[in-house]
Amino acid sequence: MAEAVKAIQPGISSTAAVASPEIHHDTTVKWFLLGAVGYFAIVGIIALIIAAKFVWPQFLGTIPYFTYGRMRPLHVNGMLFGWLLAADMGLAYYIVPRLCGVKLWSEKLGIATSILWNIIILSAIVTLLGGYQKGLEYADLPTPVAVLVVIAWVMFGVNIFATIATRKYNQMYVSTWYLMGTILWTAFVYLTGNFATLLPGITGVNQANLTWMYTHNAVGLIFTPAGLAVAYYFIPRASNTPLFSHKLSMVGFWSLAFVYVWTGAHHMIHGPISQWLQTISIVFSIMLLIPVWAVVYNFIATMKGEWHQLSDNVSLKFLMSGTVFYLLTCFQGPMHSLRSVNAIVSKTDWIPGHAHMAVLGTFSFIAMAGVYYVIPRVFKTTLHSEAAANWSFWLFLVGGLGMFTALWLGGFWQGWQWNNPSIPFIDTVVALKPVWMVRFFSGILIFSGIVLFLYNIWSTALGSGKAQAEPVRS
Amino acid sequence: MTDFTYPSVYFSYFLFVLLAGGAVFFFVRSLKDGYLGPNSEEPKYRMLKDDPDDVETQPTGAGAPRRP
Repeated sequence: MAEAVKAIQPGISSTAAVASPEIHHDTTVKWFLLGAVGYFAIVGIIALIIAAKFVWPQFLGTIPYFTYGRMRPLHVNGMLFGWLLAADMGLAYYIVPRLCGVKLWSEKLGIATSILWNIIILSAIVTLLGGYQKGLEYADLPTPVAVLVVIAWVMFGVNIFATIATRKYNQMYVSTWYLMGTILWTAFVYLTGNFATLLPGITGVNQANLTWMYTHNAVGLIFTPAGLAVAYYFIPRASNTPLFSHKLSMVGFWSLAFVYVWTGAHHMIHGPISQWLQTISIVFSIMLLIPVWAVVYNFIATMKGEWHQLSDNVSLKFLMSGTVFYLLTCFQGPMHSLRSVNAIVSKTDWIPGHAHMAVLGTFSFIAMAGVYYVIPRVFKTTLHSEAAANWSFWLFLVGGLGMFTALWLGGFWQGWQWNNPSIPFIDTVVALKPVWMVRFFSGILIFSGIVLFLYNIWSTALGSGKAQAEPVRS
Repeated sequence: MTDFTYPSVYFSYFLFVLLAGGAVFFFVRSLKDGYLGPNSEEPKYRMLKDDPDDVETQPTGAGAPRRP
């Protein structure tokens, strides 16, 4: 392999390409990833209950804990923080020490962070089910729990930055840049959404403005850079193929850093905020096409001549499907920030269709690819079942496509009806029942994929795979 | 006409300036460190060999022949 690397880039010495002989303990990685996969399944049940309530509104309706107003925040926060962010954090603990050629700065601090994260998620489940919430999108967690999130994030950030500070190599790989960005941006974004929105005088449209700045940047400056860090690491590693262009990846990173933060106000287009603010958010939303196309072109070009690997490499299946969903969702985003399109799709089912393609289709697919790649390696074993992993992929893909498509079409249909004042609102609700039926049955497929994913990963961790005697060293 | 969004706009655009300023600072620093220079492709080759503990965990796919 070293010869192959030198053949591609003669300027790289073989010593530079040989990694550190130090052994990674990866205890933190295991704790975070196994916990995240467990929460994915638990919150998946909540998602199914919500989907069922759209079709059968009386379902579990008289039990306060299962009312829509409590279930929906639990689903959203559980998926975002219990599953996806925890999985990305676990993968960051795996990626950063390897990219830096050193051990994790503090395994004990990592384990403490994992314990605190589990306390946070369990507290979130109890408080949200009990009806204690702030009522702000993505910032529903009660303030004491949000404070714990900040503490855990500081612990995570200290560990990752201290590891990077002790790195062996001067030039950092792009994943390291994205993860550093994630940590810093999250600090600003999370504090704004969870605390600045509660300041005296921040009410009404001001609170909405800050909330949407937070909500959109929670996706754009937390889950996007974390997900791209994971994808930039695992696409080359899973395919054993060098990234197409590191220079282009840096162009994508810096353009994302410059343009994403300005886009949140596009959630309030045609709302009671300044026209100039709406226009700024639209302009920067369109400019998002630059970092997105830079990323997607890099991923697709990396796979040039390597597409055959998709047939028997489940991590690559998830990664490249996630790439396609990323392209689609980031084309939708700029387009529905245009005033004419927004007038139809805003507040309709189109939006959850778009959000699910971003958070589930793109970043959860990428995180699952990372988990499928990492868990066998950190437990020094083989994946329990390749067949089950493939089944989980197809269940996610078919279920996801069913749900996304139903919500996009239903959302447009809903928007057109809402733009016709002669149609009573309740008629537009009844008309969407078939769409919600498709969403429910698609949700069953997705949940089946989650169950297979959970079974496969936990079985692998519990020792059902074939143990590896010796690491491969070349 | 009164624009009632000003308090939140002031706050959020203060953050935007802070973030954009940080991005400019670190972007310039990364240029000085050669991230867009002639050796900027080096990390992508190094990362393929970054794990001494790596084991072959998939019977197919990950071990298939690669393009040079």
